[in-house]
Amino acid sequence: MNLFSRGVRNAFRNTIRTSSIVIILALSIGLTIAMLAARQAVTDKIASVKSSVGTTISISPAGFRGFEGGGTALTSAQLAKAAATAHITKVTQMLNDRLSANNTSLQSAIEAGVLGQRFGSSSGTDTVPQLPADTNTSSSTDTTVTTRSFTPPVTVTGANDLTGTAAFGGSTAKITSGSSIDASSNEDIALVGKALAAKNNLSVGSTFTAYGATITVKGIFDTGTTVGNGGVIVPLATLQRLSSQAGSVTSAVVTVDSLDNLSSTTTAIKTALGSAADVTNSQDLADQTVQPLESVKNISLFSLVGALVAGAVIILLTMMMIVRERRREIGVMKAIGASNVTIMAQFIVEALTLTVLGLILGTLVGVAAASPVTKTLVTNSSSSQTQSFGGAPGGSLPSTARPAGGPGLRTFGHANSQTLGNITASVGGGTLALGVVAALCIAIIGSAVPSFLISKIKPAEAMRSE
Amino acid sequence: MLDVQNLIKTFRTEGDTVTAVDNVSFTVAGGEFASIVGKSGSGKSTLLALLGALDTPTSGHIIIGDDDIAQLRDRALIEYRRSRIGFVFQSYNLVPNLSALENVMLPMEYAGLNPTERRKRAKKLLDQVGISDDKQVRKPGRMSGGEQQRVSIARALANKPKLILADEPTGNLDSENGKMVFDLLHKLAKSEHTTILVVTHDLDIAGRTDRTFRLVDGKLQKKK
Repeated sequence: MNLFSRGVRNAFRNTIRTSSIVIILALSIGLTIAMLAARQAVTDKIASVKSSVGTTISISPAGFRGFEGGGTALTSAQLAKAAATAHITKVTQMLNDRLSANNTSLQSAIEAGVLGQRFGSSSGTDTVPQLPADTNTSSSTDTTVTTRSFTPPVTVTGANDLTGTAAFGGSTAKITSGSSIDASSNEDIALVGKALAAKNNLSVGSTFTAYGATITVKGIFDTGTTVGNGGVIVPLATLQRLSSQAGSVTSAVVTVDSLDNLSSTTTAIKTALGSAADVTNSQDLADQTVQPLESVKNISLFSLVGALVAGAVIILLTMMMIVRERRREIGVMKAIGASNVTIMAQFIVEALTLTVLGLILGTLVGVAAASPVTKTLVTNSSSSQTQSFGGAPGGSLPSTARPAGGPGLRTFGHANSQTLGNITASVGGGTLALGVVAALCIAIIGSAVPSFLISKIKPAEAMRSE
Repeated sequence: MLDVQNLIKTFRTEGDTVTAVDNVSFTVAGGEFASIVGKSGSGKSTLLALLGALDTPTSGHIIIGDDDIAQLRDRALIEYRRSRIGFVFQSYNLVPNLSALENVMLPMEYAGLNPTERRKRAKKLLDQVGISDDKQVRKPGRMSGGEQQRVSIARALANKPKLILADEPTGNLDSENGKMVFDLLHKLAKSEHTTILVVTHDLDIAGRTDRTFRLVDGKLQKKK
């Protein structure tokens, strides 16, 4: 029997009290570990989201929003001014247009559907279909017969650079047949989406007409999206010429050399283009997208500190109570030759024993609770964020965060906001190590005051009668 | 062996100063079995606490061997309590969750004796005070008062002290066990040449010691 084993054994002198303290400590340490894991998972997610956005800036004409908004197209001259800004490595300029039955031989690969019938047409007084409130209870009024037949147009994009994802609506495109085209050329050549090619029986070398010109298919691509695969990509200059929009650009994606320069470059471009353009950078969007996660990070930090303090207070009060109960015993130990340090060490071992037991049980609690707690925090935070922004479609992306233009950023925002909830917290080695450190802090803080009390107890306490 | 000179201990309570030990002087020779008697509140236990370095005197000298323990400071006092004296308390004061054997080994652990040696010596001491092997592994709660006091005496002897201070050692015992404990202390004083100073209010017990000091209101009255 030595000091260490005596300290361990003392921890079990009152089994009911020990069990209660260990359970409370376990909950405290478990919460600490769960919060550490949540914080780590959220931090990783934020880093992942931010790293996935790249260093791009989206430029679109002011007021322009796909084919829904208005505004005046930008010009290549304006963009050239913006491109002169420092730190820009690439400017992808795009011009979007729509081909309909009267100016192309192509048939759209996209079915109009109910949404297309409702939103896709122009003015008119015809009866348009109602969106079914509930597909299971659809009535005759839900499927009102329309007098209008709407065919979605074929979207054609002219781009001066096809090396990124911008020209493909933000999706990564794979050439499944043929080869890519020279985006800087002015030839009547095109890349055709997989679905559009299938619909029109197009293959590499086939031709179709658009704007009265015959265009040769050089390659067929697959973006993995219905919209993307229903489109046509041509060189920017070709589309500007064929559509009689010389020098016009409807969107541009600027790539900056580093994340550090993204903000300053965005400001410089805004200054250069003035009110003519809406300029949004990917980092701003990412920051807005991960805002719910930042809240979770703060909540987890406060909870972590709270749990840690609670654990320390539990041990502190317990050890103070134990020292108070054993004043006489401490006096006896001093009377028979124990030094303050020896007695303190014994009580610290006792506090450590309780803490280690709490840590073992708390680790199990933390491992079990980490993922559900994180998911709950993220879900609640994301949904409250969404509500506060008026319930924007597409998960938690605030409506204010929606980019004015730029298919790349639009897709990014939507996809990432949806994946915020897909977060899994696991208790790794680092988290466990931090948990152990936290438990040690609890034991040390909890033992400090009792140790001081021990040093103040006089050996004469041993002489007190019961 | 023990030379107490002009020992004074005062306490301050609510503005008043109470003199618990008032200019006490006496000597006890090596191997002598002495007692201090007095009524409750006469200052007996305070005097014993001062002699055992459990408390510090206001003034005076307590000379044991060549050392004046009234002048010793923390480390030296711990060393003094550890190796020079043994304590026997009225309420035994054994550590409740340690066995009799472990209780006796405790002062030896504080003195730095190796585990094998301290176990061997603790067993020997418990045998000497009549605690059988099966009871040596028992915790105090499962022992009678007399047995606990014998374990307490064995613990007091653990580091071979030259002075044993006993505070009402028979106070919580019946007459039979009280006599047995007293005889044990008496025997030890003679066989080990250990000085024993017993504080008691039992005049019968005191009458059987070699010398008796009477304490009245903190003052030593007369010697037998």
